Amino acid sequence: MTQLVQVIILGLLIGGVYALLAAGLTLIFGVMDVINVAQGALLIFAAFVAWTLWHDLGIDPLLGVLITTPLMFGIGWVMYMLTIQFLAGKPASMSVLLTFALALVIEGVMGILWSTTYHAATPGYFADSYRPGDFYLPKTQVYGCVIAVGVLTALYVLLRYTWLGRAIRAVSENATSARLVGVNPKKVAALTFAVGVATTGAGGSIVSVLYPFLPGSHYQWISRLLGVIVLGGMGSLPGAVAGALALGVAETTTATYISPRWATMVPYALIIVVLLARPQGIMGAKLREDAVL
Amino acid sequence: MRRLRWVFAALVVLAAAVLAAGCGGDSGGGTLKIGASLPLTGDFSEPGTAAKQGYEIWQQQVNDAGGLIDKDVEMVIKDDQSDQNIVVTDYNALIQQDKVDLLLGTFSSLLNLPASAVAERNKMVYVEPAGGSPEMFSRGFTYLFFAQQATAPHQADLFADWVTNLPADQKPKTAAYVIADDPFGGPVAEGVKEKLEAAGVQTVYSEVYPPETVNFDAIASAVAAKKPDVIAQGSAGLSDGVNLDRALIKVGFSPKQFFQASSPSFADQFSNAIGVKNTEGIFYAVSYHVDAKTPGNEDFLAAYRAKYNTDPPEDAADAYAAAQVLQAAVEAVGEVDQDKIRDWLHDNSVDTILGKLSWDETGAPEQAFLLAQWQNGNEEIVLPDEAATSTTLVNPKPAWSK
Repeated sequence: MTQLVQVIILGLLIGGVYALLAAGLTLIFGVMDVINVAQGALLIFAAFVAWTLWHDLGIDPLLGVLITTPLMFGIGWVMYMLTIQFLAGKPASMSVLLTFALALVIEGVMGILWSTTYHAATPGYFADSYRPGDFYLPKTQVYGCVIAVGVLTALYVLLRYTWLGRAIRAVSENATSARLVGVNPKKVAALTFAVGVATTGAGGSIVSVLYPFLPGSHYQWISRLLGVIVLGGMGSLPGAVAGALALGVAETTTATYISPRWATMVPYALIIVVLLARPQGIMGAKLREDAVL
Repeated sequence: MRRLRWVFAALVVLAAAVLAAGCGGDSGGGTLKIGASLPLTGDFSEPGTAAKQGYEIWQQQVNDAGGLIDKDVEMVIKDDQSDQNIVVTDYNALIQQDKVDLLLGTFSSLLNLPASAVAERNKMVYVEPAGGSPEMFSRGFTYLFFAQQATAPHQADLFADWVTNLPADQKPKTAAYVIADDPFGGPVAEGVKEKLEAAGVQTVYSEVYPPETVNFDAIASAVAAKKPDVIAQGSAGLSDGVNLDRALIKVGFSPKQFFQASSPSFADQFSNAIGVKNTEGIFYAVSYHVDAKTPGNEDFLAAYRAKYNTDPPEDAADAYAAAQVLQAAVEAVGEVDQDKIRDWLHDNSVDTILGKLSWDETGAPEQAFLLAQWQNGNEEIVLPDEAATSTTLVNPKPAWSK
């Protein structure tokens, strides 16, 4: 029993980290119909920046979020202006091609800047745990979850209660009508994309502490994150959280009670089952009225 | 139609040129062409680049000393981009178009598997600097030779022998095996398991995980619940070992003896990733150590340090040793006769910077890897005694220090 609880705790904690990493991806898809395959590469880029701040300037990766977030926002804005904006009106599959190309370019740039060897930030808490009773909670994952709650709450507030948020939702539901009431869809899309990329600032900081990473690590993240948002319902923030937690728990319980051999496969089996029963994912699509998979 | 004729004419000219070039090489023009394809880009670019350095240092030394059987050595090195298809194309091109006299192998079992088949079909000796997977040696090949001390299932032999021969009060009773689904890493852990089980060490955990696993929390938690005396992990590359170590530190469990197949050999990358204090007492196996007193190592070290201003990585040394093996056989035979070179290698042993190497009929080496251990933040060879760089052995492994 103790073991089961422990395994579920570990699953929820890693799921919380997945939710943080998937938030920007689902936001960008929900509003813009863009499947940003480069999100994983941007995440690793942010991790490298966090590592550099930690390694060369002694800034704790969690504190580094204050620097990486605006930096990634800027990179997202520039990426939108130079490339993504030309996707307007094109099918979502074109966005996969474009952003995959961007991912390869970012991977190459990271190889030049930081070489292709493994990097890992190891602040004091990197392998430490909280130990209430018989259980243990790895600190890095706990911090990742706390930041995830912060980032997701901020996104929720932004979408719900600000003019920008209302504009974003208006554009996602009906861009033409939004234009009629004075919303500039292009500007809103640029801001949305930049906000979505900015979330990798926080995600990258956690990734830099969680596992060693190299430029090629973005593949393992993007596949998992796409799984998270498909499971949760593409474009839905609460869905991304639900999908992430479900995926995390599925991974750890499978590794413990069936075999680690199946642990990377079962989450995808779960996705198939959920999509058969609920084609729109666990939470459907809250940000888009027409999201049907 | 006219255009086709031009293409045809061009092809004829090209063929004649290639033929002429080939004849030129064969007619004793004073050079000996040795071909290899290495993963200089892609997943294996790190070991591939190191291997290229090893081959080139050997070439330079041989030529400075008057060449191989009185001919200048010319290395022809192609880039297979870590791709199994390209490596086949490359070795075919080396044999058919570049008309190389001799071949040297590439890096990783993954690439050596198809490349060695090309060599075997063309009846050319293939000395490989890496590729210890048992699959390599189960195909009945006779021109294949692996220039390290042992194949994957025997990588940890010295560790297993040492553990099972500990005095009764220290001898482990239980062991856990964390095994990557990998052609190299898997057999390493299975090899340890077989020996420990034969010596009566009870297996309390043994699970295979897919190579894309990054989250080892669930595995570490399950292993810790069994409290094994020994943990042995078989994997390839750096990250699996680091991620298991980190997960074990988080759960707070440290075994008495801990063997990891690959990660600890990554020097700084390993110690930086888990914290240098946490490396204390971790065992691993290596083929080469810079301080080894093996014949020729001093010259190799001096040449490498002079050219690259740093110590050679293991992969560069392995490539250098593979070239040494080929050199010894060609010198002994006195000519480039693939069958005679092959027979000589099957019958003799060769002194290399990795120590003495000899081969069974499948081309698998018959020696043992060095057993290394992290001590005080340094990588030390602890066994066998004659190669040891440290006379002490950290046992049992101390608890993790955060």
